[in-house]
Amino acid sequence: MDLFGNTVFLEWSQLGSTTRLLMNQLHYGALAFMVLAYSFRVWQLFKMTPIKEGTPARGDHKKAIRYSYMLLAMPWEMESTRKHWGRWFEFAFFHVAMALGIATAFTMPIAHELMRHQIVVYGLQATFALAALIGVSRLLRRLGSPAMRAISHPDDYFCLLLLTAWMASGLLAVPQMHEPSLLAFFGLATFFLVYVPFSKISHYIYWFFLRYHTGKHFGHRAVYPKKSVPDTAA
Amino acid sequence: MQRSEKAQRVVDAFKNATKMRQVTLSLAGCAHCGMCNESCHYYLSTGDPKMTPTYKADQIRKLYKKHNDWLGRIAPWWNGGGDLQTDEDLEELKDIVYGSCTMCRRCTVNCPFGIDKALIMRMARGLLTAEGVAPEGVLHVMKDQWEIGNQMGVTDEDYLETLEWLEEEVADELPDFKVPIDKEGCEIVYVINPREVKYAPQSLMAAFKIFHLAGASWTMPSKGWDNTNFGLFSGDNKLGGHMGKLAFDQALKLGVKKMVISECGHGYRSTKWESPNWAGANPLPFEIESFLETMVDYVNQGKIVLDPTKNPGRVTYHDPCNLSRSAGITEEPRFLLKRSCMDFQEMYPNRQDSFCCTGGGGAMSMAEYAKRRIEVARVKADQIRATDAKSVATACHNCEDGLADLIKKYEINIPVHNVCVYVADACVIEDEQKKAMTIMSEDLKAKKILVIDDEPDVVKYLSTFLTDQGFEVITAADGSEGLAKARQEKPDLITLDITMPGKSGVDVFTELRKDPDVGDIPVCIVTGVVDFRKLMYYREVPPPEGYIEKPIDTDVLMLTARRLLEMGH
Repeated sequence: MDLFGNTVFLEWSQLGSTTRLLMNQLHYGALAFMVLAYSFRVWQLFKMTPIKEGTPARGDHKKAIRYSYMLLAMPWEMESTRKHWGRWFEFAFFHVAMALGIATAFTMPIAHELMRHQIVVYGLQATFALAALIGVSRLLRRLGSPAMRAISHPDDYFCLLLLTAWMASGLLAVPQMHEPSLLAFFGLATFFLVYVPFSKISHYIYWFFLRYHTGKHFGHRAVYPKKSVPDTAA
Repeated sequence: MQRSEKAQRVVDAFKNATKMRQVTLSLAGCAHCGMCNESCHYYLSTGDPKMTPTYKADQIRKLYKKHNDWLGRIAPWWNGGGDLQTDEDLEELKDIVYGSCTMCRRCTVNCPFGIDKALIMRMARGLLTAEGVAPEGVLHVMKDQWEIGNQMGVTDEDYLETLEWLEEEVADELPDFKVPIDKEGCEIVYVINPREVKYAPQSLMAAFKIFHLAGASWTMPSKGWDNTNFGLFSGDNKLGGHMGKLAFDQALKLGVKKMVISECGHGYRSTKWESPNWAGANPLPFEIESFLETMVDYVNQGKIVLDPTKNPGRVTYHDPCNLSRSAGITEEPRFLLKRSCMDFQEMYPNRQDSFCCTGGGGAMSMAEYAKRRIEVARVKADQIRATDAKSVATACHNCEDGLADLIKKYEINIPVHNVCVYVADACVIEDEQKKAMTIMSEDLKAKKILVIDDEPDVVKYLSTFLTDQGFEVITAADGSEGLAKARQEKPDLITLDITMPGKSGVDVFTELRKDPDVGDIPVCIVTGVVDFRKLMYYREVPPPEGYIEKPIDTDVLMLTARRLLEMGH
C-alpha cells in the first residue's frame, strides 16, 4: 500500500515499450552522457592554472580543508545558515531527496520487487513529497523576494521547476502502480541527466573544487577553521 | 553592435583571466541561492536588490556565461549571459566593482560554496584599471606608488624630516630615544603606512615608544618604507609586486631577521601574503609579521609592562577585514587590549564575521562614492553604538578613517585609535620623565595661525585655545574672508573648515594652492564631513598637510600644529 491507499502493483511485464525503453536504456544512456560531459569539464578544470600560495603557511591546510568540507554539515559555523536554520534544513533535505531520487531511478529497474516493500515505498514517498513542497517553497521565495528575483535567470527557475516536478512524479511513481507516473519519473530523470551538465545544477561538481581551494587558501593563512564566537553578547 | 576598443580589450583580458582555476570556479559555481545576501553591508543598509553580492558578481559573471559557458554561448539569455559593448558599459561596471564592494570577503565566508566574490571583483578591477577606467583617486595613488614609491607622494626628505621631528617629540617623554635609520644587522625593520608620517603620527609615536621600552633591535628604512599597496585594490599585480619588492629589497640590504608591518590591514595582507607571490620573491630570507604580533611577544617576554588603569574608559575593537578574513589575525589585538584597558567590550558580530568599516578596498580614496559609503555604514554604526564604548580600537589606518567618518555621520562621537596607541598609553615607564605635550619653544609662540570656519563656536574655541598656547590667531567667518586674510596676513598656518556657505573649504583650499603668494602655507583641514578626502587623493593641487576631525581633540590639534609649524609638512 502507498501513502494514498493504493494497493495494486503494476505488472512489470505489462509496461509499454516507451516506458521500458526509458527505464532500461535511455536513462542509462543519459547517465553515461552526463558522466562523459562532467569528465570533460573536470579535465578542463585540472588543466587550468591554480592560484598558489608560495609564502610560508601560518595555519594547517589539511585541517582547514576538512573544516571547509564539513561546513556543509555545521550550520552553526556560518552566519548565513546560523540565522536561517529553516533554509539550511530545506537545503539539506532537498539535496538528500535528490540523491535518493537518482538512486531510486537506477534501482527500480533492476530491483523492482525490493522497491515494493511498504517501508521503502512509504519512506520514499514521504521524502519526495516533502522535497516537492520544499521545491515549491523555494520557488515562491525566488519569485517573492526582490533580492532573489534580481539574481534569478530562466535557468534558475527552470531547474527548480524541473526538480520539483521530478520529486512530484517520484511521489506517484515509487509505488509502481500507474504507468504514466513511471513514464513521467523516468522521462524527467533522463532529461535531467542530459540537461544537468549545461545548467546551474552543475554547482555540485564545482562545490568539491571550491571548498577544497577555499579551505586550502584560508587554512594557509589561519583564517580557517574559524574561531567559534556567538552572534550576540551573552 | 561593434564593441568599443576598450570594451574589446577588457573582454579579451577577461577570457585570459578565466584560465585561473579559482577565478573560473567562482564564476561558474554560483547556484544563486542568495545565502550571501545578508552578509553584505551594502545590501543590509539599503535593501537595494542590486546591492547583493551575487547580483554584483553577476555583472561580471555574465561575461563568463556568454563567452565560456557551454549553454550560455548558444543562449545567453537563459542563464544570465551578457556582454560589455560600450565605454559606458565599462563605467557602469566600474561603479559596481569599485563603488559597491569593498572586497571585504564577508560574503565569501558566508557562501555555502566558498565562492570568492572579492577575487572576482579584484579581477574585474584589474581589467578596468588597465584601461584607465578607475576612480581618479585610485589612479593618482597608483601613479605615486609607481613613481615616488609611496601612496601619499611623500618625498624622501619630508619622510626623514618627519621622523627626525617625531624623534624629538618622543624624546620629550623618553630622553634617550632615537629613530635608527638604515641601521644594518638589526632584528627588525619597521615599515609603515604613509598616513602615519603625512597625517596621523600618533600611531608612529606609539610604536617608537614601544620599541624603545622593549629594548628592541630595530630600524626604519630610508626607502621602501611604505607597507600599503594599491596593487591589491586596483587588481594590478605588477604594482603589487613592485611595492613589495621596494620593501623586500631594503630588508635584504639591511640584513634584518624580521620585517614588522605597522597596523594596517591591507598593508599586512599585501606584504605578508600577496606581494611575495606577485613579486616572485618566495622564499624570503626573513619573516614578516604584524606589529600586533610583535607587541604580544613583548608582553609575553616581559619586555613591556602594561598598566590597564591608564586606559579606564570602555574600549571596543573593530576587526579589519584584511586581518580577520584574509590574514588570520584576530586574537592578538584582543590579547593586547584586555591588558591595556580596564573595560574591553567585544563588538558583535566579530572576528571573521565582523562587518567592514566601509573604508576598505581603497574606498577612502574614491571621493565619488563617499556618499554611498557613508550611507551603507549604518550597519557598522549600529554595531559600535551597541557596545556603549567610549572609544574604538582598530588595527588599520583605512579602518581608522572609515570609522571616523561613520562615527561623525551617525553622531556616535567617540574617538578611534590604533591598538598600539592604547598599548603605548598603558606602558609603565620607570622614572617617568613625561613632559607636557603642550610645552613649546619660544620660536613657535610667535607664529600666526589663521582659523577659517563659519561656526562661531568653533572659531571661538580654536582661537581661545590657540591663543592660550601663545599663538597669534586671526579668524575668518567664511571662505572669501579667509582667502582675503590669507593673502593679506600671510599666516604661518591655516586651519580650514570644509562645509561653509558660499565658497566651500574645497574651493578655498584649491584657490590658496593655486596662488603662488600663499600656496606654500601649510593647511590643516578641520572638519566633520568626509568630502575633504577628495583633496587628499585626487591631488589636482598638492594635498593638505594635515587634517583633524571634529570634535577636536586638543592633543591631536597641538601635535598637528607643532608638526606643521616646525616642518611645514
